[in-house]
Amino acid sequence: MVIERRWKKWVYFYIPLTLFVIGTLFPFYWMLITSIRPDAELYRSWRAANNTPFWTLAPTLEHFRDLMAKTTFPQWLWNTFFIACASTAISLFCGLLAGYALGRLKFPLAGTIGTSIFVTYLVPPTLLFIPLANIIRTFQLGDTPWALILTYPTFLIPFCTWLLMGYFKTIPKELEECARIDGATRFGAMVRIIFPIAVPGILSAGIFAFTLSWNEFIYALVFLSSPEKKTVPVGVVSELIRGDIYFWGQLMAGALLGSIPVALVYSFFVEYYVTGLTGSVKG
Amino acid sequence: MKTPERDATRHHRLSRRAFVTGTAAAGVTAAAGLEGILAAGRAPAYAQGTRLNIVRWVDFIPACDVELKRQAPEASKALGAEVVFEFINANDLQPRITAAMQSGSGPDIIQMLHNWPHLYANGLVDVSDLVAWQVKEQGALYTLSEVNVKVGGKFMALPHGIVPGLIAYRKSWFDEVGATTFPKTYEELRQVAAKLKKKGKPYGQTLGHTFGDAPGWAYPLMWNYGGMEVDKSGKTAIDSKGTVEAVKFMTAFWKDGCDEGGLAWDDTNNNRAFLAGEICGSLNGASIYIAAKRGQDKIKDEKGEPMLRDIQHARLPAGPAGSSSYQASFHHGVMQYGKNQKLAKDFLKWLHGKEQFGKWFQVAEGFSIGSTKFWEQHPLWSTIDEPMKGFRTAADNSRVLGYAGAPSAKATEAYTKYVVVDMFAKGVQGMKAEDAVQWAAGELKKIYG
Amino acid sequence: MTRFLENERLLACLLLAPTVILLGLFIAYPFVMGVWLSLSNTSVGNLGVFVGLKNFIKAWNDSIFQTAFYNTFFYTFWATIFKLVLGMWLALLLNRHFRGKRIVRASMLLPFIVPTVLSTFAWRWMFDPTFSVLNWLLYQGGFITTKLPFLSDGVYGMWCAIVVNTWRGMPFFAITLLAGLQTISTDLQEAASLDGANGWQRFWHVTWPLLKPVTLVVVVFSVIQTFSDFQLIYVLTGGGPANATHLLATYAYQIGVATGLLGEGAAISLFMLPVLFIVVWVQLRYLRRLEGA
Repeated sequence: MVIERRWKKWVYFYIPLTLFVIGTLFPFYWMLITSIRPDAELYRSWRAANNTPFWTLAPTLEHFRDLMAKTTFPQWLWNTFFIACASTAISLFCGLLAGYALGRLKFPLAGTIGTSIFVTYLVPPTLLFIPLANIIRTFQLGDTPWALILTYPTFLIPFCTWLLMGYFKTIPKELEECARIDGATRFGAMVRIIFPIAVPGILSAGIFAFTLSWNEFIYALVFLSSPEKKTVPVGVVSELIRGDIYFWGQLMAGALLGSIPVALVYSFFVEYYVTGLTGSVKG
Repeated sequence: MKTPERDATRHHRLSRRAFVTGTAAAGVTAAAGLEGILAAGRAPAYAQGTRLNIVRWVDFIPACDVELKRQAPEASKALGAEVVFEFINANDLQPRITAAMQSGSGPDIIQMLHNWPHLYANGLVDVSDLVAWQVKEQGALYTLSEVNVKVGGKFMALPHGIVPGLIAYRKSWFDEVGATTFPKTYEELRQVAAKLKKKGKPYGQTLGHTFGDAPGWAYPLMWNYGGMEVDKSGKTAIDSKGTVEAVKFMTAFWKDGCDEGGLAWDDTNNNRAFLAGEICGSLNGASIYIAAKRGQDKIKDEKGEPMLRDIQHARLPAGPAGSSSYQASFHHGVMQYGKNQKLAKDFLKWLHGKEQFGKWFQVAEGFSIGSTKFWEQHPLWSTIDEPMKGFRTAADNSRVLGYAGAPSAKATEAYTKYVVVDMFAKGVQGMKAEDAVQWAAGELKKIYG
Repeated sequence: MTRFLENERLLACLLLAPTVILLGLFIAYPFVMGVWLSLSNTSVGNLGVFVGLKNFIKAWNDSIFQTAFYNTFFYTFWATIFKLVLGMWLALLLNRHFRGKRIVRASMLLPFIVPTVLSTFAWRWMFDPTFSVLNWLLYQGGFITTKLPFLSDGVYGMWCAIVVNTWRGMPFFAITLLAGLQTISTDLQEAASLDGANGWQRFWHVTWPLLKPVTLVVVVFSVIQTFSDFQLIYVLTGGGPANATHLLATYAYQIGVATGLLGEGAAISLFMLPVLFIVVWVQLRYLRRLEGA
C-alpha cells in the first residue's frame, strides 16, 4: 500500500472526486427539478425576487402525468426498447462471428476485411441517409421499425467486432486445441468452449450497442414518420416542442423517463461492462 | 406497411339526412365528389384500412390542433377512410418533406409554408381544380397566397390561411417614455426602445434561423429602406444604398434598444420573454395576446394585474421607402408519391369548406386568418377584443419573398438559407454594413446565378 | 458437413458472411450512391445530372462551409483533449478503494447513458438566453452584471458545445481507461514508490506507458464520433447564431435536407471522410508501432 498523508488525501482525492460528481450529476438534478416544478415557476423572470432555481416549494407530478397521458410517450418507450434489443441482437450475432473469424482464424484477406469493416465506421451518417432512404423505399420498409433495426447494425457491428476480436485474442489457443484433441469439431469448440468464456465481452459489447441504439437520432428522424412509431429521442424533440412554448416541464420529464430503461440495464451490468472492457483491452 | 392496429368501424354508414341538414345549415355547397357521395347515400368504397396522413405544424394556438383532432373522426366518417393528423415542429417541416419525397413514402398531405410549393413543385400534385372551387366558394385569394402556390400557371397547393404578425407591445411602458402612439418610423422606434432599454426593458427581436418571426422582420426592414433581393428582371440587386442603410439601422437599433440575446432566439423565445415581462415589445403573431388571455390568472404584470390589459398591437413602422410587411402564408400540398391522391383531394375540400374551416377559424381567435377576403367578414371580428382587431387586415400590405422578382424556387432557396436574416445578424455582430451586404449579394448570386 | 467447417477458410467465409452482407448492403452500396449524389446536382424532387466536382468547389468557396470546417476541427480537438485529461483523472480517482465506490462508478456513467438529445436539451435550458440558471448563479455571486450570451454568441456557443460534449463523453473515457488501469499490476506502482518516485512520476513513467494502447483506441473512437457529431449541435444551437456554430454534419443536413439540395449536402458530408481517414490512419500506425515494441 502506498502510504500518504491525510491532507494529501483530501486535496488530491476527495475534493476532485466531489467536484467530478457535482459536475457530472448537476444537469440531472436540474432535469429532475424542472420536471417537478409547476409551470408558473418555470417562466418567472430571472431577476424576480422569489426566484428559487434550485428547489421548489410546490413540487408537482403534472408534467409526468401529462407526458404519459397526453402524448404517445409510453409507445415511444416501447418502440425504442424493441428496436434497441433487436439491433443489439443482430449486431452481437454478426460481431461475435466476425470477431471470432478475425481474431482466431487464419485466412487470406483477414487483414483487409478487418480494416474495411473498421473503415465503414468512418462513413458519416449524414452522407448515407438519403441513399439509405432510397433503399428503404425499395424494400418498402419506410415508417417501420425494421428500417432502423437493419440500419443500426451498420455502426454497431464494427465496434462489437473490435471489442470481441480483442477479447478472443486473449483466450489461449490451448483451450481449443485441448477440446479438439478430445474429439470436438472446430465449430463445436468455438460454440461450446470459446463463446462461454467470452460472455463478459459479449455482455459488454451488448450494453454498449444497446446504449448506442437507444441514443441514435438522425436515422430515426428521417425514416420514421407516424407519431406512434417514433423512438424516444425523435418523439421528444418533434412533439414536445410545441410551437410557441417549449414544454420544458414535460421535456425534462421525458428526458428522465427516457433514460431509465438504459440506466436500469447498466445498473445490472456495469461490473460486467468494466470487466468486459478489461478483457478486451488486454488483447 | 399498413398495420391493422386500429379498432374496427371505419365504414360508418353516414346518415344522409344528418349530413345534408348539417351542411345545408352551414351553407356549404358540396363539391362534385361529395355530391356523388350524398347521392349514393353511403360513403365511397375506399379499401378497408385506407389511411390518410396529414402533417401540419404544431400550431402556436394549441386549441387549433385540438379542434383539428376533433374534426378528424368526422372527416373519417364523411370520407370512409381513416384520417390522421400529425403535428410536428414547424422548423422540421422542410426536412420532413425532403425525407418523404426522397424515400417515396410518407404523409399524403403536408402543410406548405411561404412559397415552398415553388421549391417542391415536382413532388406535388396539381390542385388547380381545388383552388377553382375554393375561389368560387370563398372569393378571390389574397395575392400573397395566390402567388405562393402558383407555379408556372398551375396551382400546386391549396391555400389554407395566413398567420399575420404585428408588433405586440406594453402600452403603459411606452406611455411612460412619452410614446402615447406607437412609433411611425423605424427611427422613432429606435429612440423609444433606447429609452426603455435603459430601464431594463428592451425590445425583443429574433435574428435566428426560425421560420416566422425572423423573416417577418428582416425582409420588410430591407424593403422599407428601399432594398430588395432581386430586381424585376431577376438580377441580384441587394447590394444597394437602401440595404446598407437598413443594416446600419439594425445594428444601431440592436445596440441601443434590443435584447442582445435575440441572436439565439427562435420563434418561442420572444413569447416567453414578453410574458415574463422581460421585453417591451416584439413582432409576433397573435399568440402572445392569446396566451396572456388564456393564462390571465398566471400571467401578470408588475402591478399584479393581468398583463392582457396592457398589450396592444401595431403595424411595422415605415422606412424611407414606405411601409410593407411580410406575412406567413400556409397551404396544404398533396404529395405525388401518395397512393391516395383522390382521397386527399376530397379531404381537402372537406377541410377547407366554409363549415369546417369556419369552426377552426373560430377557435383560432384571430391568430390565423383565411386566405381570402371572405373571412374578413366573419362575425368573430366584431366580438373580438379591441387590441386584436388589427389582425383582420394585417396581410394587406404583405409582399412576397424574392421581391421584386417573380416568385420562384430560387427565392425559396434564399429564404431557407436565411440569407437576408443572416445579413442583418452579421451586421449586428460587428461586421461593417457594406461587408454584410456584399456577403449577402454573393450568396444570392450563387443561388440566382 | 463438419469437415466442411473444419476448413479454416470456409469457416471464416461463413462466419463473416452476415457481417459482410449487412455492411455491404447498408453502407457500401449507399456510400457509392452518396458519392454519385455528390457529383450531381440532384435536389429534392428533381433527378440530377452529372456535374463533376462543381458541388465540392462550391462548398469549398462557401464562407459558411469554411466556418463549419474550422469549427469541426476546433470542436473535436478541444473536446477530445478535455475528455482525455478529465477522463484519465477520473479513472485514476476511481481506481482507488473507497466507500460507495460502486455507486459513484455507476453514476459517473449517467451522462453517457442518457440519450444525447435529451441531456442536450437540459443543457440548452441551462443556457437559455432569458432563463438561464447559470446566469442566475453568476449574477447572484456577483460575478456578472449582464447576462452571458451563452448561445447567442458564436464563440461562446462553440465553447458551450465543447463543454456539453466533454460532459457527455468523459465517462466513456473514464470507464475504458479504468478498465485499462485495472490490468496494471499494483506491484509496479509499489516498486516505483519504493524507489522514491512521487505520485506524478509514478503516473508518467509507470502507468502512462502501459495505458498508451488503450488510450489510443479510445481516442480514435472518440475522434470519429466527435468529428461526425450531429445531434449535439443540432439540438443545442441548430448551427446558429447565424451559422456560427455549424459543424460539417449539421451544415450538410441543413443544405441537403432542410434546403433540399441533396447533391451539395452529400458533397459537404464527403469532406469529412478523407480527414477522418487520415486522422485514424495516423493513430493506428502509432498504435501498431506501440504494440510491436
